[in-house]
Amino acid sequence: MNFHKYFQTVLLGVFLLLCGLTPVAAEEQTATERAREILRQVDDMWRGISSHAIFTMQVKTTHYTRSMRMEAWSKGKEQTLVRILSPLKEKGTATLKSENNIYSYLPRTDRTIRLTSGMMMGSWMGSHFTNDDLVKESRMEDDYEPTISFEGMRDGQDIIIFSLIPKPDAPVVWGKIEITVLAEGFIPLQQIYYDEDMAIARTMRFSDVKPMAGRLRPAVMRIVPSDKPDEYTELDYKLLELDVKLSDHFFSIARLRRK
Amino acid sequence: MNIVAFAARNVKRNWHRSLVTTLAMALAGFIMILFASLSEGLMQTSERNAVAMNLGDIQIHVEGYRDDPDLYMRMDDADALVSKIQQAGLYATQRLYGFGLAAAGTSSAGVQLRGINPENEKTVTLIHQHVMAGQWLDPLEPAGVVIGRKLARTLGVGLGDEIIFLGQASDGSMANDLYHVRGIMKSVAQDIDRGAIFMSEDAFRDLMMLPRGAHEIAVMRPDRRADLEQARSHVATLAGEYETVSWDTLMPVIARILEIMDAQIIIMILITYVAVAMVVLNAILMSVFERIHEFGVMKAIGVSPWQIVLLIFSETLIQVLVASVLALISGWPLALYYQTHGIDLSAIAGSTTFGGIAIDPIWYAYVTPNSLILPVAFLYLIAVLAVIYPAAKAAVIQPVQAIYYR
Repeated sequence: MNFHKYFQTVLLGVFLLLCGLTPVAAEEQTATERAREILRQVDDMWRGISSHAIFTMQVKTTHYTRSMRMEAWSKGKEQTLVRILSPLKEKGTATLKSENNIYSYLPRTDRTIRLTSGMMMGSWMGSHFTNDDLVKESRMEDDYEPTISFEGMRDGQDIIIFSLIPKPDAPVVWGKIEITVLAEGFIPLQQIYYDEDMAIARTMRFSDVKPMAGRLRPAVMRIVPSDKPDEYTELDYKLLELDVKLSDHFFSIARLRRK
Repeated sequence: MNIVAFAARNVKRNWHRSLVTTLAMALAGFIMILFASLSEGLMQTSERNAVAMNLGDIQIHVEGYRDDPDLYMRMDDADALVSKIQQAGLYATQRLYGFGLAAAGTSSAGVQLRGINPENEKTVTLIHQHVMAGQWLDPLEPAGVVIGRKLARTLGVGLGDEIIFLGQASDGSMANDLYHVRGIMKSVAQDIDRGAIFMSEDAFRDLMMLPRGAHEIAVMRPDRRADLEQARSHVATLAGEYETVSWDTLMPVIARILEIMDAQIIIMILITYVAVAMVVLNAILMSVFERIHEFGVMKAIGVSPWQIVLLIFSETLIQVLVASVLALISGWPLALYYQTHGIDLSAIAGSTTFGGIAIDPIWYAYVTPNSLILPVAFLYLIAVLAVIYPAAKAAVIQPVQAIYYR
């Protein structure tokens, strides 16, 4: 299983979800410039915003199905804190990304450990995410060249599909990412990830569009790996607040233990 | 003319010369017997050493586990299967494997958890003897784990220090618990040194939420001389649908190295034998050529060339007979002694492992019929071959020439 791929997906999903998209200035632009502009705005919006979210995560694999409820805070690019609210067995387990270090607080042992880079690609909470997914970010604008491949009505929706092709030197694992957004508000509908052989590796679908943090956003995000079509990990946002006030102290190791 | 009696008298007559020749051959036979036994012992133990630390002779897994060691690819009836194999007269043990992160203080490292059944494991491998500091696992103390030496260094832990394990249990939940270092292993193999945490089977099951089953069953045959493939197919019958492979399939490189080692030992034996043959050849050649004059006289008084050949062969065979008896009564008991006591090389080598192969510092001989028969047969062969040329020469030489032969 390529956890690295998951990271990329979740990353993209999270930032689209958290930040939303603003309409592009309706000026005369070439298609490429316009696509770039959309992507740049996405990237810019994603950065430098603090957030507070409560979501559930449902994981279905061949071997188990489990559901968890979590609370997450972020500030800027460097600080993220995720705490598990339920189930009881893992309640209080918290992951903190601060600067370049990742710490995990384990209530069962009452210890805080620092994760090594080797552990970052391990499955996070048994999901299709890695530890890395929750805390890392990248700029798609830096790594991909967007082109709008379709614009218009499809299935009764006015949509824009754009393709992201990695730049020659970009350290990415995908051969292509195809993003479908609603023309109005650029609400993401679907992202299809292609591997280097241009075969579909996995699909991320967004649904349950509702107002959150001041605008319409999809609350549900589901990842289905194409090699295991019966498995998925689904995030369902119950609460999302942006631009909340959080002090740097909030993201300290000492805070990790606080229930 | 009674050739044999004549030959015996000749041997006795010049007993100095006979003694030197006989002793040279006896020494050669002695060396060959001892060397063959020791070599045989080396070949016998090298295989055992290769499998004794971790591998076992035969391993059973779910088909495909070896390519992709997945927590879920386990044999649910492992305990029953282990009992079945044990009842069949073989040693067997069940093992569980899991992966995760171990942390101590601010350090952490990726680790492989090894759930061991301490009781059964002892019958199969010697890993319990390979603890550098502290003690091996005790099922009564589930929180005590034994870790690889490099891992101990990476985590900066010593005996009694605590270790946190973090991984994913079989139900997808987070497996994490606190353990303390009960023992630190000597160097075994790179993967074990770097990342192994041994814990008792029960502790592993609690941590990883695996109430039953095992990922691996290791089997050891009690008699090293028993045919490996035969044992494997026997175990395979018991194991049914599971994949049953012998160690040489699991570790083809090590099997190949051992084959090369065996070939080297055989070359060493050949070199020794050739050196020994030189000694024998020299003694016999000298003892015949210095008597050409004597043979000339015999021919002059009417002894036929054929009788001379028979005479020389008889004399040689008498000496070889004595030499082989001497070789056997000196070499055999000594080889047997080393079979039980071994040659202790620990001052030079020490007990260590190399790439998962235990290096046993005690070198045991192993006496087989071949290690006795072959050296003696070789002694006869050398003597016969050595004597052909001088005997033929003595047989065909003209009496007058022979009398003046210098």
